[in-house]
Amino acid sequence: MKKTILLFVIAILALATVGLWIYSSKNTFSAGNIFQVAVIVILVGFALFFGFKRIGSSIRGEPAEDELSKKMLVKASSLSFYISIYLWLIVMYFSDKTKLATHTLIGAGIMGMAIVFALCWIVIYLRGIRNE
Amino acid sequence: MNNRIKEYRARYDLTQDDLAKKVNVRRETIVFLEKNRYNPSLKLAHDIAKQFHVTIEELFLFEE
Repeated sequence: MKKTILLFVIAILALATVGLWIYSSKNTFSAGNIFQVAVIVILVGFALFFGFKRIGSSIRGEPAEDELSKKMLVKASSLSFYISIYLWLIVMYFSDKTKLATHTLIGAGIMGMAIVFALCWIVIYLRGIRNE
Repeated sequence: MNNRIKEYRARYDLTQDDLAKKVNVRRETIVFLEKNRYNPSLKLAHDIAKQFHVTIEELFLFEE
């Protein structure tokens, strides 16, 4: 249950930060910013989906985590880490080509890692874990 | 690897939820097992086989 509470706290903090960002930059919001907000909202939605799944399991009297969910997380983490290495290589390559600030590139890289993790989890969830 | 969990579950008149609670996993895991989308650990295979009073070999069909 502690993990679920932590997950919701992080999600709320992320949403509050985005809200504050939108509020403080009222008229200077570009299309790029809207895209960033959309990505963050999708990622927070993914985290909330995990949280509600865990709560649902607890309500039904099932364990919040079992061997399948743990294995899926481990597999998605390892696969996303592997892909993220190449993602950072791409970010490094474009850092020379573009005039973006370093913190913007790092932010994009971290956001990319989160997207890669979410996609890896979805792929593993749809494919299942068999014959290993 | 195929399995006969669904068949045995019907024989014992258990829902996926009941079986999940008996072997202490989430219902989703039972769904994955029945659809052959997950190979369980030896412990889970043993626990499920124990619920149905059969051996692991009778419940899980190994193919060469």
